[in-house]
Amino acid sequence: MSVSEIALAEGPTANGRGAEFRRGLAASTPVLLGIVPYALVLGAQAAQKGLSVGEVPLMTGLNFAGGSEFAAIRLWSSPPHILLIAAITLLINSRHFLMGAALAPFINHLPKRQVFPALFLMCDESWAVGLADAQRRASAGMRPAFSLAYYLGAALPFYLAWVAFTTCGAALGPVLGNVETYGFAMAFPAVFLVLLSGMWKGFAAARPWLVSLAVAALTYLVVPGAWYVAAGALSGLVAAWFLAGEK
Amino acid sequence: MIDPMTVLAILAMAGVTYLTRIGGYVVLRNRTLGPRATAVMEAAPGCVLISVIAPDFVSKNPADLAALAITVLAATRLPMLPTVVIGVASAGTLRWLMGG
Repeated sequence: MSVSEIALAEGPTANGRGAEFRRGLAASTPVLLGIVPYALVLGAQAAQKGLSVGEVPLMTGLNFAGGSEFAAIRLWSSPPHILLIAAITLLINSRHFLMGAALAPFINHLPKRQVFPALFLMCDESWAVGLADAQRRASAGMRPAFSLAYYLGAALPFYLAWVAFTTCGAALGPVLGNVETYGFAMAFPAVFLVLLSGMWKGFAAARPWLVSLAVAALTYLVVPGAWYVAAGALSGLVAAWFLAGEK
Repeated sequence: MIDPMTVLAILAMAGVTYLTRIGGYVVLRNRTLGPRATAVMEAAPGCVLISVIAPDFVSKNPADLAALAITVLAATRLPMLPTVVIGVASAGTLRWLMGG
């Protein structure tokens, strides 16, 4: 046991780092099982778009943000349209700004050399699990409320599973052949619809989404290429800006 | 095996994504957003997701449209895994039945 571990064990949290890590692991296990098929589908679709078994873990390991990877693969061409893919990635992952801002008061006490690597692992799931635990501990009077070892216990296995199973999907994809014929194309909208359903906060809050859907669908029908995503997303954001003025 | 343009696109994605991850902590930790900026930030992920799948809503294949309707219903009630299974199964079955 190192000096820092003794200090942690004797601190107000009472738990050692190992126990905190295992507690985080237990909290994330159900979600972990849920992402395996999702990762396999992404890997298989990426292989169909021409990405190699080496390139898929490069993407999922360096980017590690499922929604943007599904979107990027969907828009992938040979050669890839880099600006479009980067812009779509930015738009889809812009929610990270809000997530990081919500987490900030809980991680301000940590040194930056721990915060910056820890934030690399921040995804919807690890953020939700980590923030919920910090809020629970804060209301129980525990200081510090945010447990880095718990967060890592929730986030690291998630990261490893994501990279490993997207790679498996890329390796198995060619064996399965053209997955479209089995109706696997519906996996994309299904995943996205569930994510949207999780973000649902009533019809009023969803009005910008309807604007996006209508403009994107129309653009898709009349303009060739993948511009429908940018057109739909931007008109939804403009709608959100104007609708916010109603309040 | 590894294509330079692909690597460049992946590095662009990774850089952008990491900036969004640290951006909230670095920029917003000592500030509060105005109501309009907050509304735009909250709407952004949904607007992008729905735009990406918009072509499915105007598909020319009736079997796919019917399967999409079933999938929308499933997504409002069920978690990720069953919804994906129902979506894929209904698309596969309806394509086979309707000859799409």
